[in-house]
Amino acid sequence: MTVMRDTVVKALAKCTVQGDENGLIPEYDVLVNLLPVSLLNKFSERILAVAPADKKDLVENGLVRAAYECGYHTGCGIITSDIFNDVVLPMVTEGEKDILRGAYAAFTAWGWAKAGIVQLKEAEKMVIRANDYYEADSVGEGMRAYMFRGLCQAFFDLTYADPYPDGMDTYVCQQTKGIEVGDQYGEFVVTKK
Amino acid sequence: MSLILDYSLDNETYRHSLNGQPVVMHSHHYLALITKLAQDLGDIGGAQILRDVVEESMWAIFDDYVQKNDLTAPLDRCNVGREYYSVFGLGKMVVTANESGGEVRLIRSHIDEGWVMKWGPNHKPVNLFTCGYIAAIFAVAFKKPVKSYTVTEATSMACGDAEGKFIVKLS
Repeated sequence: MTVMRDTVVKALAKCTVQGDENGLIPEYDVLVNLLPVSLLNKFSERILAVAPADKKDLVENGLVRAAYECGYHTGCGIITSDIFNDVVLPMVTEGEKDILRGAYAAFTAWGWAKAGIVQLKEAEKMVIRANDYYEADSVGEGMRAYMFRGLCQAFFDLTYADPYPDGMDTYVCQQTKGIEVGDQYGEFVVTKK
Repeated sequence: MSLILDYSLDNETYRHSLNGQPVVMHSHHYLALITKLAQDLGDIGGAQILRDVVEESMWAIFDDYVQKNDLTAPLDRCNVGREYYSVFGLGKMVVTANESGGEVRLIRSHIDEGWVMKWGPNHKPVNLFTCGYIAAIFAVAFKKPVKSYTVTEATSMACGDAEGKFIVKLS
């Protein structure tokens, strides 16, 4: 058996996070927040719209970085969590590859993107295809799935770079297709930095 | 809690919604870095953009809620934003409000505590997000448009204060 994506997605999608008596959501070794997608997209749109040409890269890299660090630390909490252990680990027969498949099932289940791995050369390269992701709703120019890029990079670092927390910034993710620019799906390629 | 919460899931896309508004989970690392990015881009108005975007987005959500639930009393309307703050995982606030302004105390704060967890204490307040959020609470409570209130962060847990304090004035 390997990780059965649909089973995992359905099981994990039932999980909801709720604030405790202090209005905080301590889960996966971080403080979780649950924010409106429109707010996150609008911030990216506005900040990029006012950035002069010589600062666009700085802003884009900042947006990717925010998602990357979030994904790296939260991702580690996810793949070591009780729910991941209960749902995904019993299906793992192919080591890191299956952990990564499970992580992308969580990626889909928790609403970041309906996405999966279409090509994987272990520790070298991964191609991800996404049929839906919330950044595709944003208004602007060019491909702009910054959150998605950051999370893909983080997941590959967690799987194939040095063990957490020493493996940061080993891989990089580039977006090669985007629903937001008229493509049928989003495509993301992770390679060594 | 008196807020009515309706969580839903789109079975096709797996997007999650709360009271009809699409929502997504991130962590304190994300909001801390977004806040820092906004601060670092002060020369192009980054900090004001973050405050404005939060105020506009939250105003729309609170207004939608009070309309759908026929809430007319200012304190009931104010309570919507206060309770949503905890539902979003942003912390716990105490609001003292009238039409000309008021004060908000943050007893717990995702953004301040997250900032300190990530980088340690800061030399100046960091909670731009909550400034915009509080402006939206007051505007909806007193049936005013966005940008009706000015919010100043007077004390900050990120700077080592025991609580956050925000002063609100009608603009």
